[in-house]
Amino acid sequence: MPGMDPLLRVHNLEVTYHRRLVAIRNVSVVVPEGAVVGIIGVNGAGKTTLLRAISGFLPGEDAQITEGDILYRGRSIKGLQPHETCSLGIALVPERDKVFPTLTVEENLEAARWRGNGSGGGSREALLQRLFDWFPVLKERRRQLTGYLSGGERQMLAIAMALLNGPSLLLIDEMSLGLAPSVLADLEERLRAIRDELGLTVLLVDQFAAMVIRMSDYCYVMENGGVVFDGPPERLLAHEDVREFYLGMSDSSQAAKSYREVKQYRRRRRWYG
Amino acid sequence: MDAQLAAQVVVLASFYSLVGTGYVLVYRASRVLNFANGELMMLAAYFFFSLAVLGQRLLPLTVLMALVLAAVLAAVIYLATVRPMTGYPVFSVVLMTVGLAIVLRGIAELVWRAQARYPLEALHLPNRPLTLPAGVTITAVEAAEVGAAIAFIGGILAFLRLAGIGVQMRAAADHPVLASQRGINIHLAFALSWGLAAVAAGIAGLAFAANVRLEPNIAEQGLRALAVPLAGGLTSIPGTVIAALIVAASENLAVRYADPLLAGVVPYFVILAFIVLRPWGLLGEKEELERV
Amino acid sequence: MAAGSGYLYTSYTRALAVLDTTFKKQCLSALATAVILFPLVGSNYQVHLVNLSFIAVIGALSQNLLIGYAGQVSLGFAGLFAAGGFTAALMVKELGFSAFLPVLAAASAVGVLLGVLIGLPALRVKGLYLAISTLALHAVIIYGVSEYQHRLGGSAGIVMPKPSFGPIVINSDREWYYLLGALATLVTLACINLTRSRVGRAWQAIRDRDIVAAACGIPLLRYKSLAFVVSSGLAAMAGAVDAYHAGFVSAEKYSFLLTVQYLAMVVVGGLGSILGSVLGAFVITLLPFIIDFIVHAFPTPERLLISVLQLQRIAFGVVIVCMFLLEPRGLVALWERVKTFFQLWPFKFVVARVR
Repeated sequence: MPGMDPLLRVHNLEVTYHRRLVAIRNVSVVVPEGAVVGIIGVNGAGKTTLLRAISGFLPGEDAQITEGDILYRGRSIKGLQPHETCSLGIALVPERDKVFPTLTVEENLEAARWRGNGSGGGSREALLQRLFDWFPVLKERRRQLTGYLSGGERQMLAIAMALLNGPSLLLIDEMSLGLAPSVLADLEERLRAIRDELGLTVLLVDQFAAMVIRMSDYCYVMENGGVVFDGPPERLLAHEDVREFYLGMSDSSQAAKSYREVKQYRRRRRWYG
Repeated sequence: MDAQLAAQVVVLASFYSLVGTGYVLVYRASRVLNFANGELMMLAAYFFFSLAVLGQRLLPLTVLMALVLAAVLAAVIYLATVRPMTGYPVFSVVLMTVGLAIVLRGIAELVWRAQARYPLEALHLPNRPLTLPAGVTITAVEAAEVGAAIAFIGGILAFLRLAGIGVQMRAAADHPVLASQRGINIHLAFALSWGLAAVAAGIAGLAFAANVRLEPNIAEQGLRALAVPLAGGLTSIPGTVIAALIVAASENLAVRYADPLLAGVVPYFVILAFIVLRPWGLLGEKEELERV
Repeated sequence: MAAGSGYLYTSYTRALAVLDTTFKKQCLSALATAVILFPLVGSNYQVHLVNLSFIAVIGALSQNLLIGYAGQVSLGFAGLFAAGGFTAALMVKELGFSAFLPVLAAASAVGVLLGVLIGLPALRVKGLYLAISTLALHAVIIYGVSEYQHRLGGSAGIVMPKPSFGPIVINSDREWYYLLGALATLVTLACINLTRSRVGRAWQAIRDRDIVAAACGIPLLRYKSLAFVVSSGLAAMAGAVDAYHAGFVSAEKYSFLLTVQYLAMVVVGGLGSILGSVLGAFVITLLPFIIDFIVHAFPTPERLLISVLQLQRIAFGVVIVCMFLLEPRGLVALWERVKTFFQLWPFKFVVARVR
């Protein structure tokens, strides 16, 4: 998207694990300020690796950025540690292990360190109150151990904790995992409200393509470690292969298996041909 | 059990609680059994002794400075040896602490020699016996040890429950990766844990040195006390305190009424009982031994 | 095999063989020759040191089978070692037996029985708490043997005779060398065999994920017990051999530090590697003497000579710490790293395409 300087710019990124496995190659993603950018792709496409690279978690996984760069507000954040990227204003809501199991809800929220004024320029206390408005269940259960929370409540807590870091950029990894459709729809709405009020920039990474396309201003499709397609939601919805493979809207429902394989081959050729 | 025996049990339990807390704090932070805990205990006592000899006469200040030095040493040890080993198998880290213990013991023998020292003499302070109600007699140092144990452990528990940093330390111990993601500098939190552990063990070491004598092999007391946090559940300080009382009581009873040789073994009988009945210790969490 | 190594097997025999390359065979022949000829060139002192290492090899292998292959954490080694030593002493003192092999067998049997006992907690707990219960059992055994020694009235311990096979009596260091060398070789070969068999594979499966192993039909009870039994039997045997070699047993020498020493051998060498245990046993046993040798090779000022013992101690500890900082998975893993570096040189890594 032309015009403003992007908040986050991933340029030609290549990440290698254990010095021998290239997980993502030549990935370029642009996240403008205030936008919601989505990334869809199946398991193993490299989405989580991308988020890890942005927030500084690669060394712990014995992985390195072997090419390319990541620029946040124009500055490279390539070698930074997780708490350093956090203090710059990037908060990651991880895919698994999103809350502290031995602490209560209240303590979980306390544990998040307030790092900036990215969230609409208010104070931590004010934000906490707003969070309780958006997620009333957290207020009700504040003294409970997180082990007793349901999946949806846990995800709400995880998002609340990330927001209490006061970020400008929120990275959400696989928000939809393990959530019932109704719970997820509810969460979607709240997230939309939060983002509107706080003016957050969001990078949403998920397998659930429909939700991502619904929520984003711009989308990237990742496959096998690379970006194969990108565009605004309308463009994605119009693309035949996105519809078939990510949205499950097949034009030929009872097509023989072999035809599907042919299609897959043609699709591969189209992405890479 | 008469009152005097009960008093001895309380004194021994204070010692065990302090050393045990040292093990627990390090285990919670780094998931490692710190075999150099006894050596940290010994070095704190030696710092105290040297400060006294070098002219520091004010008792509270000497104690404070010795403990601070021990804490700094522990934090440095963490940053220099354990932190680089993040992600390595636990066995290797534990054995590394064994190597560390050997190094620290050697340094102590090198610097201070193996002869017995008496820190209180250097300060020209007598270790007066105090007579308490019910005909109980304990030394002043022992009384101070009990008081210090209560104050320190109570303080730590309050700190971890209430203060903001306390919650962050618990979060870092609970799930380091997530804590990093939420902006907590886990290495600072862990260094602090190691420092506090050294202070706990250091108080016990100072007390032992002042009450009995100071020589390099008092570090072995640390190994002797290992049974206590193991029985109490390595992640729980209250559990350690309760286990300390139980172990101290059984040890004293065994020595008084049964075989003195049993003193070294009784703590382990206690542990065995726990393993059979409650494998995760009194108040610990059920968990497996995995990666650091 | 390391990536891009170029070793291609052309027959099943070759692929299954322990020594699969000519280079390995040559190395082993050279090593065997060196081992056999060593006593003829080495001094008595050096031969004695190697003897100590041979005994350590047996002990280290016993621990590696249990901890490295079967994944069962155990801190009870010193207790089993003591049990073996005291069984030998008991048989000599109380029963008048002194023939070497029967005593060894008896010690192993005692070890096996204790192994059953020590393995019981393993069926209920894992990891740290298993370690604690083995430690507790160690303390009980040590208490038992201390009591026995105390009752005998000998605080200096019990003296052991020289081992005898019928008319042959082992007297000198060189004779010990061949006996211990043969024993260590046999045990090593047996362990290699065991770990390559179904038992070894079952152990490794249990070590990695015991629940999944059980789901695959591996009976946990049987194999965990087997691990403890075999390991304890070996450890006790090592203890008996050590009792004969040292010439006496005494409860003081079986402390927890002995367990730690053997654990260090296993981990420094490499958990889960037979070669690692052998290497680790030699390294840890010989390290203090090597340090001593190095220190005395340089002219040391008079002042420092008093402190030489402490300095050696510090050096030992520093070597251990550095070893773990450098390569926590042991010498074998370090060797693999070096080997891979040279195999891949001048490249730094092999890139496997994802697509």
